[in-house]
Amino acid sequence: MHDTIPSRSGALAVAREQGRAIVAVLPYHYPRALLRAHRCHPIEVWGPPFEPGDLGALHFQAYTCGIVVKATSFLVREGFDRVDAVLVPHGCDALQGMGSVLGDFVAPTPPVLTFYPPRRARPADRAYLVEEIRALGRRLAEVSGHTPDEADWAEALAAEEAADAALADLYHRRGRLDVDDRRFYEVVRAREYLTAEDFTALAASLPEHDGAPDADGDVGLLLSGIVAEPLDLFDRLRAMGARVVADDLATGWRRVYPPSTLADPYERLADRLLAAPPDPTLGAPLDARAGLLVERLRASGARGLLIYDVTFCEPELFAVPVLRERVTAAGFGVLHVEHELGTTLPNQTLTRIEAFVETLR
Amino acid sequence: MNLPTTLSDLRVHGEHLLQFQVLGSTALRVQRLRNERKLGALRMGPDDVLAPPPRALARMQELMSRHYLEGRYANGVRKVAWVTSGAPWEPLEALGFFPVYPENHAALCGVRRRAEANCEEAEAHGYSRDLCSYARTDIGTVLSGETPVGRLPRPDLLVCCNNICQTVLYWYEVLAHHFDCPLVVIDTPFLYGEAQEHQVAYVRRQFDEELVPTAERVAGRTLDERELVRVMLEARDASQLWREVLDRSRHRPAPMTAFDGFLLMGPIVNLRGRRATTEFYRDLLAELDARVERGVGAVAHERYRVAWDNLPIWYRLSKLSKLLAGRGVNVVASTYTYAWGELAPLMDPTDPLGSGARVYLHPILNRSTGHKLEAMRTMVEGFSLDGVILHSDRSCKPYSLGQIDQRDQIVDTLGVPALLLEADHNDPRAWSEEQSVNRIEAFIEMLETAAS
Repeated sequence: MHDTIPSRSGALAVAREQGRAIVAVLPYHYPRALLRAHRCHPIEVWGPPFEPGDLGALHFQAYTCGIVVKATSFLVREGFDRVDAVLVPHGCDALQGMGSVLGDFVAPTPPVLTFYPPRRARPADRAYLVEEIRALGRRLAEVSGHTPDEADWAEALAAEEAADAALADLYHRRGRLDVDDRRFYEVVRAREYLTAEDFTALAASLPEHDGAPDADGDVGLLLSGIVAEPLDLFDRLRAMGARVVADDLATGWRRVYPPSTLADPYERLADRLLAAPPDPTLGAPLDARAGLLVERLRASGARGLLIYDVTFCEPELFAVPVLRERVTAAGFGVLHVEHELGTTLPNQTLTRIEAFVETLR
Repeated sequence: MNLPTTLSDLRVHGEHLLQFQVLGSTALRVQRLRNERKLGALRMGPDDVLAPPPRALARMQELMSRHYLEGRYANGVRKVAWVTSGAPWEPLEALGFFPVYPENHAALCGVRRRAEANCEEAEAHGYSRDLCSYARTDIGTVLSGETPVGRLPRPDLLVCCNNICQTVLYWYEVLAHHFDCPLVVIDTPFLYGEAQEHQVAYVRRQFDEELVPTAERVAGRTLDERELVRVMLEARDASQLWREVLDRSRHRPAPMTAFDGFLLMGPIVNLRGRRATTEFYRDLLAELDARVERGVGAVAHERYRVAWDNLPIWYRLSKLSKLLAGRGVNVVASTYTYAWGELAPLMDPTDPLGSGARVYLHPILNRSTGHKLEAMRTMVEGFSLDGVILHSDRSCKPYSLGQIDQRDQIVDTLGVPALLLEADHNDPRAWSEEQSVNRIEAFIEMLETAAS
């Protein structure tokens, strides 16, 4: 097992050495293999939590999602100088505002690219998405100066799909892995910035238990939300006698894209994005999502659903009452807490989670 | 209209006929005539800061009251569609649907001071206070049944078009869960720049493959192309007239205020595609022309002319209007009211669905922050503005994000004062009277300084 997971800076250096243009990518659905085929490398920006929001607050009101405010701060402070382009996928009104403000007013030297995934998965959505991916490809070609040929596509699809398969395999092997939740999510989230090969190797290196896992007394939780920050959350859950047995996180299971058998690379990328697990930012019908969460609670052995939302996150907040209704009716506990994206966990939040875990024993 | 086949149907149709078509409509007509006489007789007194509202306001009240009255008796008589304010309404009008615009209903609750209670109802059911207050007002109404219009009809169909925000996607999912009826989503990619052909084709294809077939199935009839053309023609004419109405405020003094506009926009939002709506705006335009000719201004002593950006603050419309007018400030233009007029040139009645795809991609809320700044720049020049008030609306993030830079650009490049006013369009708990009035007073002082 890798003792130390390479940092974002380390991954950036590796990609530069490989001659790839660096693209800072905001959350969170985008066709990663498209970037690779165009000799670009994505480094995702999820805040970061430790970034002060001061420079972002020069552009966005106090009621704006912390990811957008901190990411803007980070890019203005140092990020723009380190990348060749910024990609803002349209996932919500806050990211829409960010993409627009960066392009129209901040106007940094690296170009700001945007990408709008459809909010349904109908034939019209599929046809549109294929063209939207082509349009993004044209912009990426301008950034890297490279237009992919057949060999580029084959190489990019093979590498990125292997990494996606490795991510899916992590979830598949989850119960057998001999790592704690914090380590598991550190590895899962390394997909946000490592090259496909490095991530695949990292994921494969996680050890499995020799015998049966020793977690009988723990309370299993299904963790839902955008991002589980700070990672201390997992340490605190362990101290409470709880563990995360499944998730519905944007930084986790929501990006376990199923494979596709389509031959055309653009159609293949669209096919995989449209088959993503139910996600409010992709317009997943609420009832279908709630039903699947109940199924996953049952299958994972979780006793409750912990909805852990970043403040001001409308896509997540709207769903809470219906999820609560459906999950409670199925006999599971539900707790919803909101958190400011940052490096510390308020004691009040921890107390609520601890009380929730106690009720599930 | 659904034909009655059972005794129960007959009773429902009978109620619709008696309560709405005969008694209610007659009473509202009489009320309108009285109101018109009253408004016509009003004269501005020496202490009045505002001229009497346009006489057409009485007609608008009749149209909207009649609409909500029919809503009480619509179920079982007409198919009901709940739609977002930017939804492609014309095919549904041509299919005979009765429209409910939850956003308009929520605004009505705001004006009548009923929004807070409905928001609290939604919050009691777990909906966060950080969610849009229109959505909370609407969901609260659905959960409690409390509404100032008596009763809202249950939807047979939900149509959600995200050309105004992504919020409506999640909001309408909640409605679909509650009402267990078909939901049509028209997804309109946000335009960071000019619309691309694949985006237009995408919207058109959703009309053809999703909206029309689902609406036909629910309506139980086929869309009549000639009827659709007729509806589109009415919609275009009314939108064009609405735009001309708003443009009349380029005159100095302006014959109406944006606050009048916030109320007078009801029919173009709710009743687009009907002859009565087109006639209403034609009459309103004639009345404003007469005011312009006589030199009648909406504000007694119009000294400063400003624009309003974003949604109104529904629960403070009257107070704000009087506060500003009392200091000689006329809010003569608004980016919000123009949203239902500026797309008229894109509407082509000979190609309703094809041109509709472009129309419904281009509302100001589906366009970039830079485009909105350009719209305000055009207003500053076209309306000879002295300043801009940007309502920083915590309930409407797509409208509000970008305003900090827009304000800075207005001040720096256009050289006019701009105020960022923190509030919420429908939740009065987000309004701080003292702080807001102080900020408005300071803004007026800046206008005075700039003028001197």
